[in-house]
Amino acid sequence: MNSLTHTHKAWLLLGGLLIATLPGWAGDQYQLHLASLIAVYWILIAGLNMVVGFTGQLSIGHVGLLCIGSYAFAVLAGKSGWHPALALVASGVLGGVCGLALGLPSLRLPGFYFAMATMAFALIVNDLVLAQVDLTGGGIGLPGPLFPAPFDSPSGFYYLVSLLALGVTWLSWNLGRHMWGRALISIRDNPVAAQSVGVAVFRAKLTVFVFSGVTAGLAGAVFASLQSYITPDTFVFELSLFFFVCIIIGGRGSIIGPFIGTVVLTALPELVAPLAKLGNFFYGLLLLVVVLVVPEGIGRVFDIIRERLRPRVVHREPISPDLARLDRALKYKP
Amino acid sequence: MLTVLITGLATGMLFAAVALVYNVMYSTSKVLSVTTGHISMLGGVFGAYAISVLQLHWTLGLLAAVVAGGAFGALTELLAIRRVLNRSDEHLWLLSTLALATMVQQAAGLWWGTEPKPFPRLIPQDFGVGVMDQKFWLPIGMTLLMAIGLELFYKRTMYGKVFMAMSEDAFAAQARGISTDRIRLMSYVLSGALGGLAGFAAGQLTFAFFALGLTLTLNGFIALAVGGLGSNVGAILGGAALGLLNAYASYWFGGEYQQTIAVGLLMIVLLVKPEGLLGDRQVRPV
Repeated sequence: MNSLTHTHKAWLLLGGLLIATLPGWAGDQYQLHLASLIAVYWILIAGLNMVVGFTGQLSIGHVGLLCIGSYAFAVLAGKSGWHPALALVASGVLGGVCGLALGLPSLRLPGFYFAMATMAFALIVNDLVLAQVDLTGGGIGLPGPLFPAPFDSPSGFYYLVSLLALGVTWLSWNLGRHMWGRALISIRDNPVAAQSVGVAVFRAKLTVFVFSGVTAGLAGAVFASLQSYITPDTFVFELSLFFFVCIIIGGRGSIIGPFIGTVVLTALPELVAPLAKLGNFFYGLLLLVVVLVVPEGIGRVFDIIRERLRPRVVHREPISPDLARLDRALKYKP
Repeated sequence: MLTVLITGLATGMLFAAVALVYNVMYSTSKVLSVTTGHISMLGGVFGAYAISVLQLHWTLGLLAAVVAGGAFGALTELLAIRRVLNRSDEHLWLLSTLALATMVQQAAGLWWGTEPKPFPRLIPQDFGVGVMDQKFWLPIGMTLLMAIGLELFYKRTMYGKVFMAMSEDAFAAQARGISTDRIRLMSYVLSGALGGLAGFAAGQLTFAFFALGLTLTLNGFIALAVGGLGSNVGAILGGAALGLLNAYASYWFGGEYQQTIAVGLLMIVLLVKPEGLLGDRQVRPV
């Protein structure tokens, strides 16, 4: 993980090439839209992955932060007439501030309490959006403004969100592989041990939660622009579950795993029609199966298969007593 | 004014009932299941289905609600809890119960429909009776009955004492020859039946609605956390406080801020007294 081998570099290059040329070979506008949607989700999930996958804080309310980012962008760039780039930055900042406000009280709570607090946050945001009709249009919703010139076409927008996603991935990769990431994983695995070796547990949790808030705000802004119209119904609680499933399936403590999870889970219901009808039932089932069978994530399945195919060589070193030496020791008289 | 009070009390008692269900599950497994509210949702939906659609007598509807709740409780334990608890003490049960809760909510939505449907009247009564309406008194009476019944069950019966033993120390109970897996399953069936009963009794208040589960899970949990985890009296007090606060908040400020105020109450209580009003102090984590 620390240094890249040549195979890794080759894969990265191939992946980058695929992502960069996608508007060229994508079949139609819809597939491009789907690719942009994956990138938008990934911006949020990359940040959430730091919270859920690395730090082990099961936040199921990130859809609330996404909602805040979206409405901030729609109100600032649409109603108030700000420049969209400025509104994008403002959405990120607002997401971070709301993350701080949510994290400060709730990150002190143990597992289930924290999950419930974040879930309540998502429900509250939805309630407030519905209540503040003057600002958010209530149940009718708001149009999400487009970005200016080079980014107003579908392919231009795709490049914009891909760049953002790349930046967030780079940030989270840096965060994950250095001392910070180790500290976060230690908090996930044993907070008491982490504290005893000098990790400032609460501060680390809060920092990474604010980071995830910023990414959720940014994702919300581009999400509003991509969807072109947002209503409170867009931000149902089940969306949170979807983000969650992507991370758990990909495997905790990894970045490429949740990325693949995001790509597959976003694309799958669109490509396989019967799954779309089942929708969240399918995600729930997937989460249940993964938690029960491979809690380490789908990647573990490949590890198991690899071990079956190519069993590890176990060096057998029989332990036998050195009888001569034992004899000498027993007869030894000083 | 009296209507606000009685509405608050009735919804509060429904939350308290959900908190009691949490307590029964928590006593044997130390797990707070996300499916808790969904059990009551199933109770309401199946009760309404048996009475309105199948045209059965309301006692059979009650039976359907209890059986559906108990079956779902057993399913929760077998599917989402047992394997996870055997594997490790991580918080994986949160994920597995969340997954199960989502599945049952979606399944109920697909089968029953996503519109709230009215729950039939159980006792013939005029609609204009105000605060004496059965939709207020049924949940209140049922919850108090449930709390008294649970208290008697814990104090007077052998199985109740086994539950208590498991909640004190599951390992010691196992060493004493108690089949902890079977007792845990029994406690989930019992809590499921109670949840179904509560959902049935409060059906006229909440309607038979598939998305009710998550709200009940959250509000029942708030009632539990405010009252103190593990305490039945605390659950009743917490539920009553939450229900009254909700009702008066929506009377004075409008219904939009109900959730905000409920969570505000939770946060204040957790900051001031983390173990709740009547809960035991948490043991140290090492």
